Amino acid sequence: MASIWTLHFHSLSVRPSCPFFIDSNSSTRRRRRHRFLITNGISTQQFKQQCITSISKFHHQLLTSISIPMPQFLTNRNIGINLPIWVCVAVVILVASLRALSKFSRKKERPGSVADLVRRGQLRSDRRGISRNLKYEDPFDNPLVKVSKSKSSVEMCGKVYRLAPVTLTQEEQAVHQRRRSRAYQWKRPTVFLKEGESVPPDVDPDTIRWIPANHPFATTSTDIGEDFAHKNVSQKHGVPFRIQAEHEALQRKLEALQNEEELNKVVINPINAKEFERPFNSHGRLNDHAEKTSLNNQVKDPLSSKLDSSPNNFGSASSSGEDQNLKL
Amino acid sequence: MLSLYNHPTTTTTTTTTNLKSHFPSITHLRHSPTFPKPKPKTLTKSLLQWNRKPQLSGETPRVVVVTSGKGGVGKTTTTANIGLSLARLGFSVVAIDADVGLRNLDLLLGLENRVNYTVVEILNGECRLDQALVRDKRWSNFELLCISKPRSKLPIGFGGKALTWLVEALKARGDKTGGNGTGTNGSGSGSSSTGSGCPDFILIDCPAGIDAGFITAITPANEAVLITTPDITALRDADRVTGLLECDGIRDIKMIVNRVRTDMIKGEDMMSVLDVQEMLGLPLLGVIPEDSEVIRSTNRGYPLVLNKPPTLAGLAFEQAAWRLVEQDSMQAVMVEEEPKRGFFSFFGG
Ligand SMILES: Nc1ncnc2c1ncn2[C@@H]1O[C@H](COP(=O)(O)OP(=O)(O)OP(=O)(O)O)[C@@H](O)[C@H]1O
Ligand SMILES: [Mg+2]
Repeated sequence: MASIWTLHFHSLSVRPSCPFFIDSNSSTRRRRRHRFLITNGISTQQFKQQCITSISKFHHQLLTSISIPMPQFLTNRNIGINLPIWVCVAVVILVASLRALSKFSRKKERPGSVADLVRRGQLRSDRRGISRNLKYEDPFDNPLVKVSKSKSSVEMCGKVYRLAPVTLTQEEQAVHQRRRSRAYQWKRPTVFLKEGESVPPDVDPDTIRWIPANHPFATTSTDIGEDFAHKNVSQKHGVPFRIQAEHEALQRKLEALQNEEELNKVVINPINAKEFERPFNSHGRLNDHAEKTSLNNQVKDPLSSKLDSSPNNFGSASSSGEDQNLKL
Repeated sequence: MLSLYNHPTTTTTTTTTNLKSHFPSITHLRHSPTFPKPKPKTLTKSLLQWNRKPQLSGETPRVVVVTSGKGGVGKTTTTANIGLSLARLGFSVVAIDADVGLRNLDLLLGLENRVNYTVVEILNGECRLDQALVRDKRWSNFELLCISKPRSKLPIGFGGKALTWLVEALKARGDKTGGNGTGTNGSGSGSSSTGSGCPDFILIDCPAGIDAGFITAITPANEAVLITTPDITALRDADRVTGLLECDGIRDIKMIVNRVRTDMIKGEDMMSVLDVQEMLGLPLLGVIPEDSEVIRSTNRGYPLVLNKPPTLAGLAFEQAAWRLVEQDSMQAVMVEEEPKRGFFSFFGG
């Protein structure tokens, strides 16, 4: 009796110190054996019998355990206790994870959360980039805009709104127009004059806009003529005025230089040459491209065709330039 | 997009226009499976959802000035978003920033680094019109034209006339590509979709006030979009500007009420959209809610309507663009109220 007690005591004192998973292999082996027994169709009676014998064997082992080496005892004991423990642990983990999952999904649905904002489109979850075609083409009928059957409410971005009909009639509009035409009598000014300037003879004084002398507009010097400006607007091809002027100036400079050269027989050094090229580059950044394609057959002389391109020209000048732009 | 558009028969087209005219009257067959509907109708409907395109009404180019009177109510925002919406719907658009000196449409569109030439350079003969047009890389049928650089001077003596010439030149662009479609311009045939022909829409972003800049901006316009916010100061200016536009012969004026807060309207802290309409007596092109995303998109140079998924304000801009194309106006406005927990709302319908 005393020996049993001491044994029990011993086992209890040992258990905490021994790790739970001394030999997982043995436990699986044992489990496999169990399954084997059951699936082999052994009757419950037999199984019971076996259990009893195994228990009694176990008891015997316990009694004789003092002489038995420690590890084997521990393994045997662990298997018996661990099986339900492992099941319990698994169940607890399962329940906890399920609860966490349900909590997480509930959090997602909670109105006002960040996830909600993303769902409603208030926050962008996708990165900024080149826009693509939306999946829908109809802003009145798409997954984000849903009109109720009765047309009395609309759901936009997840929020339901009532629809109040517009009551404005044609007559009311006309009444407002008449009111305004009485209140505001106005003629759009077509002539702008600085204060102090004299009124041209053939001008209706009602259409003059007087610009105060300190107004930013008043500082504008209209040194370009109206007809000239009009011509420039409708200019479709050819070398723009400024570039042409610069080009001509350059030409003159080059000629002058060449004449000088002939006189002095001085070789142009590369630094000088670069200096002359600069105006080209500053005005036609797409020069190379224009040269390659040379689609601009509107321009007669080849030199100016090189110049005939500009940084933000993607219009009608060169179609390949346009294609390139689309691909960017 | 155009090829898709060929599909609907005349009957379906008419129904769509009818349905559209009183938004939001489009029946929602796809989202209400609880209602058994005749099969063929459902089929038409679902096909239409993917094939619909607004019907362009009116003569092209439609020259629309976006104006407000009061500053900072959202003219530039509206121009950028409606312009890009129109481009996405397949129309070719030229947006003109007529804000002399204080231009910011280029910033909103994120094209500020590509503006090298402006109208001032065109008038001076320093560049051609097509060189000053900045084509958007996201939507190639959208082009931006700035009237001037911050410190350059527009000759105001004929500023308005200059804009009219520009419109004429843009119109003639279509003739040119159609007329002598030589080897010079290989893409001449598909003019309207690629944007090299006559544009469908010319949107003019008007500066605030009723100064010389305003006069310049409204000169070439045939129609106007008036932007206002539901506050009394903006409304007074809006009424005045409307009066001036009407005096100038622009009769087709529609308004967009911007920065609407349905929650404040519900609490009677803000004038409702219908109140605004009662005061101005103008048809509604759109109602844009106050949306923090507007500011963010401004900072990014990436207009709202390109956002995925679209925001509330982005959707409202898209709808306004659609109505603009069809020369339509709103027949109902959204009012906030507690959602009725009905049977169908349970299903999300
Ligand atoms: N619906 C909106 N919700 C929130 N902010 C908005 C909205 N619409 C415009 N804003 C903000 O208002 C400011 C002014 O907008 P915007 O520049 O478009 O006005 P504007 O009328 O063009 O001004 P200006 O008269 O100076 O040209 C911007 O900062 C913009 O972000
Ligand atoms: Mg602006």
